[in-house]
Amino acid sequence: MAKEECKALLDALNKATACYHHLVLTIGGSADSQNLREELQKTRQKAQELAVAIRARLTPPLRDRGLGAEERAEFERLWVAFSGCLELLEADMRRALALGTEFPLHAPRRPLVRTGVEGGASGVAARALSARSLRHEGERDFDVEDLHQLEREILKVGEMIQDMEMKVNVPRWTVQARQTAGAELLSSASAGVSSVGGVSVQQRMGPCDLSKALAATIFSAVLLAAVALAVCVAKLS
Amino acid sequence: MAAGPAPLGGHPRAQKPHLSKMERVVVSMQDPDQGVKMQSQRLLITVIPHAVTGNDVVEWLIQKYCIAEDEALHLGTLLVQHGYLYPLRDPRRLLLRPDETPYRFQVRLNWEQTPYFWMSTLWPAAELDYAIYLAKKNIRKQGALVDHEKVGYHHPSPATPAESSQRNPSPTSGAHSPGSKLIQMHKHTHPIEGVSEGRWGVHPPELGVGKSFPLETFNHPQAHYDQLHRKINHTWDLVVMQAREQLRAAKQRRKGDRLVIACQEQTYWLVNRPPTKTVDFYKRRIECCRKALGRTRVKSSVCLEAYLKFSSQRGPHDPLLSGCLPSNPWVTDDDTYWAMNAPSVAVPTKLRVEQWAFSFRELLEDPVGRAHFMDFLQTEFSAENLSFWEACEELRHGGQAQVPALVDAVYQQFLAPGAARWVNIDSRTMERTLEGLGRPHRHVLDDAQLHIYMLMKKDSYPRFLKSDLYKDLLAEAVVPLETKRRVFPFMWKPRHSSPSLALLPTSTSGEPEAAAGSPGGGDGET
Repeated sequence: MAKEECKALLDALNKATACYHHLVLTIGGSADSQNLREELQKTRQKAQELAVAIRARLTPPLRDRGLGAEERAEFERLWVAFSGCLELLEADMRRALALGTEFPLHAPRRPLVRTGVEGGASGVAARALSARSLRHEGERDFDVEDLHQLEREILKVGEMIQDMEMKVNVPRWTVQARQTAGAELLSSASAGVSSVGGVSVQQRMGPCDLSKALAATIFSAVLLAAVALAVCVAKLS
Repeated sequence: MAAGPAPLGGHPRAQKPHLSKMERVVVSMQDPDQGVKMQSQRLLITVIPHAVTGNDVVEWLIQKYCIAEDEALHLGTLLVQHGYLYPLRDPRRLLLRPDETPYRFQVRLNWEQTPYFWMSTLWPAAELDYAIYLAKKNIRKQGALVDHEKVGYHHPSPATPAESSQRNPSPTSGAHSPGSKLIQMHKHTHPIEGVSEGRWGVHPPELGVGKSFPLETFNHPQAHYDQLHRKINHTWDLVVMQAREQLRAAKQRRKGDRLVIACQEQTYWLVNRPPTKTVDFYKRRIECCRKALGRTRVKSSVCLEAYLKFSSQRGPHDPLLSGCLPSNPWVTDDDTYWAMNAPSVAVPTKLRVEQWAFSFRELLEDPVGRAHFMDFLQTEFSAENLSFWEACEELRHGGQAQVPALVDAVYQQFLAPGAARWVNIDSRTMERTLEGLGRPHRHVLDDAQLHIYMLMKKDSYPRFLKSDLYKDLLAEAVVPLETKRRVFPFMWKPRHSSPSLALLPTSTSGEPEAAAGSPGGGDGET
């Protein structure tokens, strides 16, 4: 069914855009490296392929005047999400270009800002490409060429957005989103997993709770000792 | 230099230089050898490098720029407020503390480097970004967008350290008055005394500025969230999807990196929060657009026509385009041209007299023209108009000390009821002028002067152009003859021996002149 296909593609595009956003955040920082630039390139190329595919799938139903109201509403919703995603992607690409030109990798004078981020982001890129791992194979001047290509791709994406606006006339404000405010809290699985991370993320910001952590460990140690003693006493008696 | 934090909102910050200066400071701070000492931040299990303490930053600034401690502190605070540096313990308070509180750098993109139109097209995406950020925060904090920090957060225009310390010891006064104002705004019937027992459950004042809902409701993340939800409701699907995906993507990284990135994002949105566009903002926008619509605009076809007319009229008069008679002084060293076109000359050239017909202003600006016009007006018995106009010009361009005396003289001579040379001004202008005469300044007679000017222009000037006087002037005007040109211009003998450096040394006949004419030669001769 066309709609399911579109939804699946849109989810993939969403994932790719999110991963790209995440990678762009670290440009110019201490984790910036050739690998990062390669990952950026692969991610955005994948995102663009997906965008072209979705557009090809979504445009015919929306231009078809004989579509039912329900179906049309559904497609319009997908369209709005798609164009929003594409705008986010374009904005991130522009940021990547600006940051990439400001922080060239092989220039001697300007060091990368030491932001405290270490470690690679290959997991993120692999997630975007739905691959297990990534191979890195760039040459030395990769980032400079990459920037030129990035400029061209930004123009292409811009044209695509422009074209989309011209061809399909979907007034965005009439689209009713399915999700309500606070809907992100309702997703069960991811929320559960993220809550653990969330709690620990929150804890880090409290005024350095070393003393509290120490107290907690001592308390648990004492508790364990008490339990062990109780068991021994129970066994002996 | 911008003294405050980065201004809220999408307006591109007008000052570029201060940001590039800050950037240079930050880059030099990052220098591995001479920059600020970096330490590692230790959390429970993770260790994150590249942290600096406030103390180190201040000391480094003092040492590098040889400034006093207050100035270093202020500079450091500015760096924090613009988002180059962010505090790790207390992320909402954007100031630099000269103690062991840790900070970290972040990469900050100067939006000023992007062109203005880019800023405005990025704006909807920025709202979307902010919505996604708030949704992510919502997920992470399980629905409570309120900060659970013990110290309350401040307004985006952060109070100075003195003010903030003042807030804490006196919570009763601080917590009540803004809160009461806000409550007064929202619920008119709510008694001011009942603030502490208000609906929102403000904590009793002993806790300080704890969970202060009413104080900063306008800038509360929850309020922003609701507002954004109302505004970009149609893209809320995308917001939720992206928020979830971004969090999942972040999980692929090490915990330390995740924390750093989360901190960075938080600081970014603290510094660059999109403004709450209240009704006033939109009203002002509407007013601005209405004024812009009402401005007079000239169609380009009309002004191009005027331009063409001007060019065709002036073409023959331009010395560079149409040559000047008798000859160009710069070429021939003959200054007859200048002599004939001097400001006051007995017989004006024909071109000059023709120029008086182009516009009234030309006529008045030329002294000879003005004199002849005065003669004409005397024949018509309206010479006092021109005299009045001249007196007003003198007032406008004269010295400040003479202004009162001159105003008085003009009044006595031209404006007083039984004056000798009374000018005819309409009653409204006369009233206004007489009122202004009480406090004389150099522009007090401007209205009257303009009135008389328009009168002369509409009335006397056309008659002057049709008059016999003007026609006689045209007939008498002299047309200078062009000097005969020699075949080889560079072999000219100059009329007057002048030490002209334009004479080429290679010309054979020019050489003796050059030798005779040059100052060295002249000295040698005598």
